[in-house]
Amino acid sequence: MYGWIWRHLPGNAWVRALISLLLVLAIVYALFQYVFPWAEPLLPFNDVTVDNGMAVNR
Amino acid sequence: MGARLVVRTLSELCVTIGTLIVLLVVYVLYWTGVRADRAMDGEVDRLHEQWSTVAQPAGQSAGQSAGQPAGRPTGGPTSRPGERPAERPGGQQAGRQSGGETVPQQPSHAPGASFAVMYIPRLGSGWAKPVLQGTGTDVLKRGLGHYDRTAGLGETGNFAVAGHRRTYGDPFKDLPELRSGDAVVLTDGTTWFTYRVDGAPYRTRPDDIGVIDPVPAGSGFRGPGRYLTLTTCEPEWGHSHRLIVWAHLDATRPVTEGKPRALLS
Repeated sequence: MYGWIWRHLPGNAWVRALISLLLVLAIVYALFQYVFPWAEPLLPFNDVTVDNGMAVNR
Repeated sequence: MGARLVVRTLSELCVTIGTLIVLLVVYVLYWTGVRADRAMDGEVDRLHEQWSTVAQPAGQSAGQSAGQPAGRPTGGPTSRPGERPAERPGGQQAGRQSGGETVPQQPSHAPGASFAVMYIPRLGSGWAKPVLQGTGTDVLKRGLGHYDRTAGLGETGNFAVAGHRRTYGDPFKDLPELRSGDAVVLTDGTTWFTYRVDGAPYRTRPDDIGVIDPVPAGSGFRGPGRYLTLTTCEPEWGHSHRLIVWAHLDATRPVTEGKPRALLS
C-alpha cells in the first residue's frame, strides 16, 4: 500500500518525501477536523446529564 | 510472491489502524481539552465584556477594574466596595436570604448562549467556567450546560447544571472532591450567588431525572428552596451512572459590593 503510493508519486526522493509529508498532514487535519468530531460522540464521555441531553416531557 | 504481498498489506493495515487509534486518543484526551479551554475562556471573556458595557451607562464611570485583586479573572464589571446599586432592578437584596422574598425574573436565555460564570474554590482558585443554556452535546463542548426547564440562577427551584467529567476540558473532573459546606459561586453580572454544598456527591442511574426536580429526589431537601444541582458522568471514563452534587443558596451580593467571601480566601 505505502510502497504503491511511493512509486506513484512524481519527482525524485526528496520531492516524494515532501509530498508524503504534506499528505500525512492533510490526513491528520481531516481526521481532527471532521472524522474525530463525528466519532467522538459515539464514545461514552458525553453522557453527563440525567435526561440524555433532552428536555423531558413529563 | 502472493503470500508476501498479503502479509505486507496486512501489516501495513495494522500499522495504519494503530496510528489511527493513537491519533484518536490524542484527540480525545488532549485536543478536545485545548479546544474546550479556549472556547470556555472565550465565553467567560465575552460575558465580562458584555457585563462591563451594560453596567457602564448605568452609573459606573470609567477607570474600572482599577483595584482588582490580581491573578484571577475579574468578577463582573467593577468590584468597588461601598457603591450602592441604585439602578438595580427592585426586589433583590444583598446579604442572607432564606427563601420567601422574590428575586427578579431571570431573562430567558437563548439556547447555547452563556449567561453566568461559575466558580468552585475547592476545584482550584482559577476554576471559572461559563454556564450556557441547554445541555446539548455542542453546548457542553463550550462550557457547563444549564438544563432547560429548570429554575433560573438564584430562583426558587432547582438550578441544574451539567458538565463534562472527562474530555472537553475536564470541567467536573474533581467533582467527587466536593464536601458539605463547600462554596459554589455564580455570577450573572449583577449579583453573586453563593451556594453551599449539602452532603457528599451522590451516585445514581443515568435516567434518574428526579435529581433535577425543584425539590430534588434523594437530596434530603424537604421543602421548596433555592437549590443547585451539578451532574456529570460516573465513573470517570464511563457512562453507567451519574454523579450528583446538591447545594442550596446561602447568600447573594451585588457585584458592586465586591466578591463574596468564598472567593477571597
